[in-house]
Amino acid sequence: MLMPRVAFWTYLAKEIKRYLKVMNQTVLTPVVNTSLYLLIFGVSMGENIQLSSGVSYLAFLIPGLVMMACLNNAFQNSSSSLISGKFSGDLEDLKIVPIHSLEILWALCIGGLTRGLMVSSVTFLVGQTFHYLTAGSFIPLHQPLLLIYFLIIGGLSFALLGISVAFWAQNFDQLSAVGAFVLTPLIFLGGVFYSIENLAPFWQKITVINPLLYLINGVRYGIIGVSDVPLSMAFLVSFLGFVFFFSIAYVSLKKSSYKRW
Amino acid sequence: MNQDVSKSVPVQKSADIPLSVQGVSKYYGEFKALDKVEFNLEKGEIFGLLGPNGAGKTTLISAIVDLEKASSGDIFVFGEKVGRGLQTKRDIGFVPQEVINHGYFNVEEILTFHSGFYGIRNNKKRIEELLQRLALWEHKNKKVKQLSGGMKRRLMIAKALVHTPKLFLLDEPTAGVDIELRNSLWEFVVELKNQGTTVLLTTHYLEEAQELCDRVGILRNGVLEKMGHTKDLIDELSNRKLVIDLNGKAPSGFSHPCLEKQEKLEGVDGDRLVFKLPKGTEMGSIINSLGFSLDSIKDIQTEEGTLEEVFLSVLNS
Repeated sequence: MLMPRVAFWTYLAKEIKRYLKVMNQTVLTPVVNTSLYLLIFGVSMGENIQLSSGVSYLAFLIPGLVMMACLNNAFQNSSSSLISGKFSGDLEDLKIVPIHSLEILWALCIGGLTRGLMVSSVTFLVGQTFHYLTAGSFIPLHQPLLLIYFLIIGGLSFALLGISVAFWAQNFDQLSAVGAFVLTPLIFLGGVFYSIENLAPFWQKITVINPLLYLINGVRYGIIGVSDVPLSMAFLVSFLGFVFFFSIAYVSLKKSSYKRW
Repeated sequence: MNQDVSKSVPVQKSADIPLSVQGVSKYYGEFKALDKVEFNLEKGEIFGLLGPNGAGKTTLISAIVDLEKASSGDIFVFGEKVGRGLQTKRDIGFVPQEVINHGYFNVEEILTFHSGFYGIRNNKKRIEELLQRLALWEHKNKKVKQLSGGMKRRLMIAKALVHTPKLFLLDEPTAGVDIELRNSLWEFVVELKNQGTTVLLTTHYLEEAQELCDRVGILRNGVLEKMGHTKDLIDELSNRKLVIDLNGKAPSGFSHPCLEKQEKLEGVDGDRLVFKLPKGTEMGSIINSLGFSLDSIKDIQTEEGTLEEVFLSVLNS
């Protein structure tokens, strides 16, 4: 496949239209959730939290929540699309129509990324509003290109992870178990709410093996110019993570069953 | 000519052969769902794949559309091997046994997306034509869950035809469908055949298969037991019947010495005698052997054999 064909654009359009049809559930609900985090942790409790980098806790929290929104929604979009397709029989169509595996893969992960970017953008705007209301100014973007890079590579990686998990899962229960027992702990312990410099040395060593730490700090550097990890490591881990998730998702797509449940 | 498929069927992979199934077997663990199935379809025919539940019909269709991988053997669609490249998928239109829900999309959106999957960017004319022909035009803005059972079936058919396929596969398209809709669907299938489309279908309605199918194949436990032209199979494996109604002037019942000698007598019901007419039997010879005078016969009818008899004969053999 050298150029995306009509089948690819069709599937991508279908994926985007699918989540836009249920905006309340797919876009507005996550925005409300992250807004509550901003209100409770950033505005309410944030005034009592001091960071050595000198930035306010609200400014520190906003990039973490932006990335969390992107990753969660990218994962949920691709996984729920495939799982509901397994349930309704929609997935069988993908096996029957003349579309390449790579077209399916890219349409699903770009679809997930667009939802991730949409929710994270709204989260960022809400965060900026809170910052303006509390500090009287907006947060100037430190490195917009870096911010975009980390959001895109993180969103794509998590959408790819969603594809793999959805093909692996035999029921809804297994899918939600991965979300609850693996992804949420990794995201929450990846530095969304705190800086690792505040942790004891033992927990710092544990935290640095969490790949999400690098993605979240990449976004944090892009927005406020502060990171707990070297930027070169963040680049390397995010890129290797993408290659890894892409390979796993591709194998899942080629080897797994498309039959309905 | 009908074929006893226990002998090998010559297989071809020419671009002129719509479908060539070559020694296809499918295992699920130890269970053998298909056992070296071989047959070819001829261009523009309607082929009925018959068999009891669990015979392997859906498994075979799933292998043809690449939904299942055959454990061994090859399938060719117009000379292209299934599973290698996308061309076979472009040539096939497939109506699955179960209706697909499609979540939040309405009928028109479903057909537009499906056209896009086949590389057709603007397919409004064809979609409108199908919606009109299948009486779905008024329902084009409804979601699948808002459609009746019959409408859902028709939508599945419209979906399979958006790209005007050369080979049309229907897996029990009339299961659970009322007689009126069944008839209109079969009419539509004949219309497609007349336009040059090759059709393979599975159905449990043997009377309809007899009417519709040029050829049939009978699967049992994954083995294609019998295949041939519908009429030839009926001639070979079923009996015509001769029904003679007596008017009371002749003695009736098994006690009559003439009837006791009649090996072909199938039954006696009052004044009605029913005889089997195996291939080659002359009606006159039976009537003469009875020795009844013509004025004792009220009516004589013949009944043709049925595909159902063929089906049962193959399954019970």
